[in-house]
Amino acid sequence: MAVEEIDRGDTTTTPHPLTSLEREAERLRPVQVERPHAFYRQVLPGIVQAPADYVLALARKSSLWPMTFGLACCAIEMMSAYMSHHDLDRFGIVPWASPRQSDVMIVAGTVTKKMAPSVKLLYEQMPNPKWVIAMGSCATNGGPYTRYDRVVQGVDKLVPVDVYVPGCPPRPEALIDGLICLQDMIMRERRNIG
Amino acid sequence: MTAPHEGPQEAPIVPPEPGTIADLFREALPDIEFVASQGPVDVMLTIDRKDVLQVLRTAKDDPQLDLKYLRCLLGVDHEEAGLEVVYQLYSFTHGHGVTLKTRLPQDDPRVASAASVWKGADWLERETAEMFGIVFEGHPNPVPLLLPDDMTDHHPLRKDNPLAQVEEWQGSRLGAAAANVGHVPAGYESIAGEGGEPEGPSGESGG
Amino acid sequence: MVTEQERKLETIDINVNVGPQHPATHGVFRMVLTVSGERVVDVVPHIGYMHRGAEKLSENVDYRQGLIYQDRTEYLAQFNAEMCYCMAVERLAGLEPPERAQYIRIILSELNRITSHYMFIGAFATDTGVYGTAFTYAFREREYIQEIFDALTGDRMMYGYFRPGGVVWDVPADFKERVRWVCGQTRVGIDDIDRLLTTNEIFITRCRDIGVISRPDAIDYGLSGPMLRACGLPFDLRRNDPYSIYDRFEFDIPTGTHGDVYDRYLVRMEEMRQSVRIVEQALEQMPDGPIMPEKAPRRLRLPPGEVYMRTENPRGEYGIYLVSKGGEKPYRLKIRSACLSNLTALKQMIVGHYVADAVVILGSVDIVLGEVDR
Repeated sequence: MAVEEIDRGDTTTTPHPLTSLEREAERLRPVQVERPHAFYRQVLPGIVQAPADYVLALARKSSLWPMTFGLACCAIEMMSAYMSHHDLDRFGIVPWASPRQSDVMIVAGTVTKKMAPSVKLLYEQMPNPKWVIAMGSCATNGGPYTRYDRVVQGVDKLVPVDVYVPGCPPRPEALIDGLICLQDMIMRERRNIG
Repeated sequence: MTAPHEGPQEAPIVPPEPGTIADLFREALPDIEFVASQGPVDVMLTIDRKDVLQVLRTAKDDPQLDLKYLRCLLGVDHEEAGLEVVYQLYSFTHGHGVTLKTRLPQDDPRVASAASVWKGADWLERETAEMFGIVFEGHPNPVPLLLPDDMTDHHPLRKDNPLAQVEEWQGSRLGAAAANVGHVPAGYESIAGEGGEPEGPSGESGG
Repeated sequence: MVTEQERKLETIDINVNVGPQHPATHGVFRMVLTVSGERVVDVVPHIGYMHRGAEKLSENVDYRQGLIYQDRTEYLAQFNAEMCYCMAVERLAGLEPPERAQYIRIILSELNRITSHYMFIGAFATDTGVYGTAFTYAFREREYIQEIFDALTGDRMMYGYFRPGGVVWDVPADFKERVRWVCGQTRVGIDDIDRLLTTNEIFITRCRDIGVISRPDAIDYGLSGPMLRACGLPFDLRRNDPYSIYDRFEFDIPTGTHGDVYDRYLVRMEEMRQSVRIVEQALEQMPDGPIMPEKAPRRLRLPPGEVYMRTENPRGEYGIYLVSKGGEKPYRLKIRSACLSNLTALKQMIVGHYVADAVVILGSVDIVLGEVDR
């Protein structure tokens, strides 16, 4: 059945070359729009562009491998944080025994003067970039044992500490909070780390 | 109520009732002098230090005593009254226990080692020696057990060895911190450096 | 058999340093193994990396504050350590805890024994090569009991709940239900781990006839706890030298026969089941009443005297020798550590075995470095 022509006033004298059906198909055809892109996007589509330090920081914070440095009671809470109830593996945090392949050293427990050279040696064996979390009050400032003269009053006398997690011992949730703080710190200070 | 600043008092010596292990000791060793006292749980026998090895050997070997289990070996510092070594023994077969004590003078703290009687006394004596400065003669391996190698000159559990002071500033970059803050807090001018080297790990100020 | 060629080879014994930072040493423990080939010829253990001076610091705080050092010394069986300390102070002070407090203490001590043995199973199985599986099972079961402790005392680990005289506050209303539930759950958990490990051929090969120590040697070295019971001597302080109200409960004392690592594991597994029995009996018998004696003084001033109190901790005999010369602070507080005495026998157990067995034997001693070094 013929489509009624709507009277539009001053229409052109010659009819449109395409029928209305063809005009409809023409209208629905997808349009190629010229988007202003870098050249590489025309050559390799599907690429995401981001600053290099952002990507490095994202990679570093998402797979922090702590060196297992559980010294005393805080080590038990650290192990609880790794295990079933408060899983740390979902953050990409896998405990790793060797210092040569780990990123962060979680000092969990009291550092005594007999143990201090080992702490320093292990810290120096870790490759850059590395971070240190002082877990518990003994690693922060000596804790309940601070007045004994064979105890180092805080591990920050030996190594530079990035995050202090207070508690005696801190709950696994507190340790997870400390690790997330460290992740935020890594992202925030990404320009400063080589 | 006792006065607040009363000095240390000694416990009164309560002689044990007849029939306890003190009588068995007197039977087994008739010519050794014992000062027997009944403590809250065990009988406590004080012996002279020259008899220590003989008494311990007999305590272990005598079938009536049969005190084969050395439970505990410790030292106590009684300041002017000397040092004391305490042995706590127990018998599995008879089910009785005893505490043996011996006093040593403060300037000559030597006593025979019980490592030849019990193998487990080895480490316990090493620890007592390093904590109090007691010399156990005849010990097979008189090497410190718990203390670090470079800190064995003073004995921690003696009463004249004080506790460490709590160090106020952690780390030592006080100069740099002061630069951030703008001024050095009052009282810390003497230790405010130029942001110089960190203190060594042995920043001790007591003992 | 040594062949002609081997006889002509010159070999030297090398020293292998294990620790102090090592995934398999359960803390900061260092041992120097002298090995000839794969066989261990000599072991020199070095301890003291966790020596924090709990005994010295206890002399400078009063009797109620000194409780915190006991928690941190034996940080896997805290209630047992606190119980020993409180009993020593009570014996000198002449305080007698009321019935309800005694039952609460026993229930909590036995539950703590169960958590400690779970930790042992997890760590020991990891040493034998079950990398992680038994550890996650054990920690899952442990968390159920730790949640009860958390709800009761406010802390997951360092409870500080006992006081000389009793306990600090009464248990909440749902305590009995929760403990009953956890007893059932523990039975299921023990059976789970049992099915995983006990008849596992590899586990048995790694543990049978390893680290054998004879009974007279064990007594001479001063071993106690499951290490002594695995050698065949049925000595348990709760039965033979009873303290508190343990004589009101019926439980068996599991013993081993060979004195090897496998027997120690079996003894500890069976002890967990017996602890569940004790807890259930205690729950039924627990009366109502006060939890601290009426005339308990606010400041504890002990008369002069000396006492040695001992408890059966999961690791052995934990003892406290307390010397008081009047006043509010102890004059000398000596902690008799079960793990230290158990460790003295390490050399005899390890020499002659392979290097891999050294780790398994060390795991079977079940050391807690806080207690060894204090």
